[in-house]
Amino acid sequence: MTAVQSPPVAEREIVSLPSRRGGLGAAFRFEVRKLRTQYRGWAVLLAALLAPIPIVVIIHGQSRPPKDTLFGRFATDNGYALALLVLGFATQWVLPLLTAIVAGDIFASEDQHGTWKTVLTRSTSRARIFWAKTLTACGFAVLVLGVLAASTIVSSLLIVGHQPLIGLSGQIISSSTALKLVTASYVSALPPTLGFTCLAIVLSVWFRNPAVGIAAPVVLGMVMVLVGGLGSIEAIRSGLLTTPFESWHGLLTQPRFTGPLVEGLLVSGVWSLISLSAAFAIVRRRDITGG
Amino acid sequence: MNQALAVDATGVTKNFGTVRAVDDISIQVAAGEVYGVLGPNGAGKTTFLRMLFGLIRPDAGTIRVFDKTWDQAGVGVLDGVAGFIESPRFYPYLTGRANLEGLALLDGGVRPGLLEEVLEIVDLTDRAERKVGGYSYGMRQRLGVAASLLREPRLLVLDEPANGLDPAGIRDMRALVKRLAGSGLTVLLSSHDMGEVEEICDNVTILNRGAVAFHGTIAQLRTMAPDPGYLLSTTSDERALALSRHHPHVEVTCDPEAALVVTGPRPEVSSYVASLVRADVDLLGFTATQTPLEALFFMLTDESRPSAAHRSEPLEEAVR
Ligand SMILES: Nc1ncnc2c1ncn2[C@@H]1O[C@H](COP(=O)(O)OP(=O)(O)OP(=O)(O)O)[C@@H](O)[C@H]1O
Ligand SMILES: [Mg+2]
Repeated sequence: MTAVQSPPVAEREIVSLPSRRGGLGAAFRFEVRKLRTQYRGWAVLLAALLAPIPIVVIIHGQSRPPKDTLFGRFATDNGYALALLVLGFATQWVLPLLTAIVAGDIFASEDQHGTWKTVLTRSTSRARIFWAKTLTACGFAVLVLGVLAASTIVSSLLIVGHQPLIGLSGQIISSSTALKLVTASYVSALPPTLGFTCLAIVLSVWFRNPAVGIAAPVVLGMVMVLVGGLGSIEAIRSGLLTTPFESWHGLLTQPRFTGPLVEGLLVSGVWSLISLSAAFAIVRRRDITGG
Repeated sequence: MNQALAVDATGVTKNFGTVRAVDDISIQVAAGEVYGVLGPNGAGKTTFLRMLFGLIRPDAGTIRVFDKTWDQAGVGVLDGVAGFIESPRFYPYLTGRANLEGLALLDGGVRPGLLEEVLEIVDLTDRAERKVGGYSYGMRQRLGVAASLLREPRLLVLDEPANGLDPAGIRDMRALVKRLAGSGLTVLLSSHDMGEVEEICDNVTILNRGAVAFHGTIAQLRTMAPDPGYLLSTTSDERALALSRHHPHVEVTCDPEAALVVTGPRPEVSSYVASLVRADVDLLGFTATQTPLEALFFMLTDESRPSAAHRSEPLEEAVR
């Protein structure tokens, strides 16, 4: 095949313009800006802020405490116990859901709106977009957990009170120590929450569908809770991403044991790493044909 | 390496499964020219342009943009390049302005005042504060041009920019592209409309089923074009057919739609029509079928179109 090259109409000197390109910070700012203008992020934050209050009020008003759950026995008349009860509940599926609402959508929504081509035809590398989105989703997860923790702990203490807490070994924990331990317990939920964030990211990248990105991590989380509860093989149980959500139990025993916290950190780290590696590989390689 | 080439694609091939979307095509676009990639639906225009932007990878061949390749320069290939693929897409929940501001962030910022300028150029200043979700198709298309101009590109790549626009929108879009081209910008434009390419471009590659069917200047293309054709309907088609025997340069055939199809050089056709009038054969209709270049395009892309009136000319003009 021959390529006929005819003289250009207006041959110009090609001036080499300074190559201008936004860095990761710029891409991150754009992601945050998009998130801020969407109502979903605000709805999740609002839910994390407000939902704990009626829950605290209702449990506090119960005549019979929910004895069969961890710290349920004391939850009606001890603020710390109630905050831990809510944590136990939140880690079942609420935290995976709250984080997935943003993380499960953040990549897939580009497919939904056909905007991959819009951002990738700027001088922005796929890697930069990937990390900007990942940072945004993880930042949001930290924020949501922080708001949920603050709202639950403050409302529990204000509504129910800050009496000394009876620990899992029956020991009395002073009010000030209990506050630290309850806070630490919420912090211990961060690694698996981030693990679920990364899981939502890879599902969002893989399926290119926001609904799957949001629902699938929650469903997977529930399956893991189920599998973990079946008394299955310990190796499987400790490898599940839901197991680190229980690592705080060791903080409330006498003596305390922190092994599960370290293990939880590792397990969450491995889940996150695998999820992000897979997601990154897909984003890097895929053909952008839609939109 | 020729420094004056904005785009230098050689032997580019792309398969989607068993479909060969782009088949060993080579295209050279010189800096400063307006280049058309023309082809019917499914010819591979979009696929080629996607590869240029790095949205998809070619299976074979290389694409150099201002002498840089994706392999060497990564995303740096797109420095000085802007445009859009198919219809431009934006975040519907952001305003037009916020969309542009976000893209400007990705670009590493724009010089002060440029955003207002590009909004002005595409006539969207008044609608800039509205969410893109509420934009009409034409407005989104113009926002796409604005987003491209924000990069102050040296090469503007537009994939069927007039697609889906109403006649006024098409006219405005073509005028805009011409104006931009006039400012010295290199423009690579894809289209399925020969008229558009003829009007705007200096050089053209015609693609058919992924392969190059023609490569050259519009002037070269014109020399290859067949005579113009017209649809004729009269009060007596038999007599009209008989009279055509006195006009050896005019070919008259009977169309299945029961009209006569007249082809030939324009002066000969005029004198044939005048002879019909003199012979008391009344003309009921006389319309041009396709322009010669359109006819050539359909020949090159072996797509036989019904001789529908693509462009109608006033009767008097043809008779004159
Ligand atoms: N993602 C894809 N998967 C499979 N086949 C594809 C894909 N994208 C394009 N094709 C095929 O590749 C060929 C070229 O398509 P392309 O979109 O490049 O054509 P085009 O010239 O832009 O057509 P149009 O004028 O309709 O925009 C077509 O046969 C099309 O079906
Ligand atoms: Mg196309």
